[in-house]
Amino acid sequence: MLFPTLDFALFFLPVLVLVWTVGQASNEWRKIILLLASWIFYGAWDWRFVALLIASAAINWSLAQRVHARAEAGESVQPWLGLGVAANLAILGFFKYFGFFLAELAPILTAAGFGRDLPLIEIILPVGISFFTFQGMSYLIDIARRQTQPASFLDLTLLMSFFPHLVAGPIVRASHLVPQFAAVPRLTRTMVSASLILIVWGLFKKAVIASELATGLVDTAFRDPAALSGLDLLAGAYGYAVQIYCDFSAYSDMAVGIAGLMGYRFPRNFDQPYRAASLQDFWRRWHISLSSWLRDYLYISLGGNRGGVWFVCRNLMLTMLLGGFWHGAKWTFLIWGGLHGLVLAIERLWREWRPSAAPFLPRPLAILFIFHIVLAGWIFFRADTLAGALAYFAEMAAMRPGITLTTPLMAGLIGLGMAIHFAPPALLPVLARRVAAWPAPLTGIAVGLAILAIDTMRGDGIAAFIYYQF
Amino acid sequence: MADAFDSPIDIDDQPSPTALGGRAQVATSVGIAAVLLLLLNAHALALWADGLKPGPRTAGIYAAAQGLSSRTAARGLDAPRATLRAGWQRLQAADWPDQR
Repeated sequence: MLFPTLDFALFFLPVLVLVWTVGQASNEWRKIILLLASWIFYGAWDWRFVALLIASAAINWSLAQRVHARAEAGESVQPWLGLGVAANLAILGFFKYFGFFLAELAPILTAAGFGRDLPLIEIILPVGISFFTFQGMSYLIDIARRQTQPASFLDLTLLMSFFPHLVAGPIVRASHLVPQFAAVPRLTRTMVSASLILIVWGLFKKAVIASELATGLVDTAFRDPAALSGLDLLAGAYGYAVQIYCDFSAYSDMAVGIAGLMGYRFPRNFDQPYRAASLQDFWRRWHISLSSWLRDYLYISLGGNRGGVWFVCRNLMLTMLLGGFWHGAKWTFLIWGGLHGLVLAIERLWREWRPSAAPFLPRPLAILFIFHIVLAGWIFFRADTLAGALAYFAEMAAMRPGITLTTPLMAGLIGLGMAIHFAPPALLPVLARRVAAWPAPLTGIAVGLAILAIDTMRGDGIAAFIYYQF
Repeated sequence: MADAFDSPIDIDDQPSPTALGGRAQVATSVGIAAVLLLLLNAHALALWADGLKPGPRTAGIYAAAQGLSSRTAARGLDAPRATLRAGWQRLQAADWPDQR
């Protein structure tokens, strides 16, 4: 069930009515309604994996109880914490990486005479598994670090299942959401107006910009780069940078807006990432909930900034390689993570050993430079195979003349996507306050007309969000 | 213990010029938007109903959606959608001057 579909609207409207009627009288019933709704939402994709979601919550909740009890008694939490992290990684590893490792090991095992014993099974990847297992792990670690209080089973299950963030984030931590589950939230007019704006804004970015760029330009460019001109391939690469931003930030915007209409606050997940003047800065602005997760639970656990500069570089590289692998079991994601790790390490070394007389790159040039590093990374991220990514670079460098794929509309959408990205951060609060002052019927008419306009521009059907596959 | 974190919807609430609070505002605005879309975009509902698996339960939904779409179209309520769609299709078909 995708956000920008009528299926989702027909699911969400009754849920919204129930949480503000039945759920207004009793917070426990409100949470039960939200939990059941979340399971229906997830079950619409595949009912079998609702059991996995519940099992994952049960494992994390019961192990967290033990970790908390041992921490309170002053005993070592490591055995239970280790078991919990291993259980989460086992779930993730089986569903997400088993096939990859088997395929990579197959030639070696076959050569060693074990080929016919390989378990050839097709494993379906449960949507959102990377997100809810990371949430479960962060809860356990936070309990061990005493950074959060133990949640009730209902609260933890709801935290991990809550449908606005369930399949593509933001990764909402227990310390963010569980305290909000303590009472029926208060809904203010600015929360409503900001949420409605985010939903409409997200719909536009996804259904118009991202989908149109994907079907009209990017998918074709990456399918057969040898058949296209250099300009088309360049536009395909820029188009993908805009598409992935509009696609993923749209999901986050809609998730924040949908949760906001029910009275819950989600963390910001994007902050104009292509304005970053360093790659470190980029990771403070792109998929903030993942980058802060990797920093807090992986980078710091590896040693963080402690130790010598080479040790820090190793930690950066490992964190980004694993961050790349989190996105999927493909060499292209590892290369993407490795590229980011390498540049982060170079930035670190440059900060350490930069000659005092060396001039600083002007900020606009630094932004342009970092954007193109990110763009190169996106080519690996988007390509189906490593060979496909290298072919894309080679064909782009060949710079064949002509322009056949990039229509004025595609060029316009790339420009519009970038303009949207560079819109002032203060725009949302200004708009939200203004809309909050309108009479509610006028807001309803504006929202209805905006959705109508978006619906007329979208193609037939809608592609899944890019981050659904992770 | 709650983390202090930044959410896009953290915006100071302004004194409301109308009597409606957040709940009433969400009910009114979402309700009106839904009704407006039912009237001006009944085509989308008919398209959605068309995609339902045929069966005794869905037959009623299909008939109601198609009926609404026909009635709104007969009253010209689909005109804004058709005008916008035609404009968008012209944009999609546009090419560079030397490519025409």
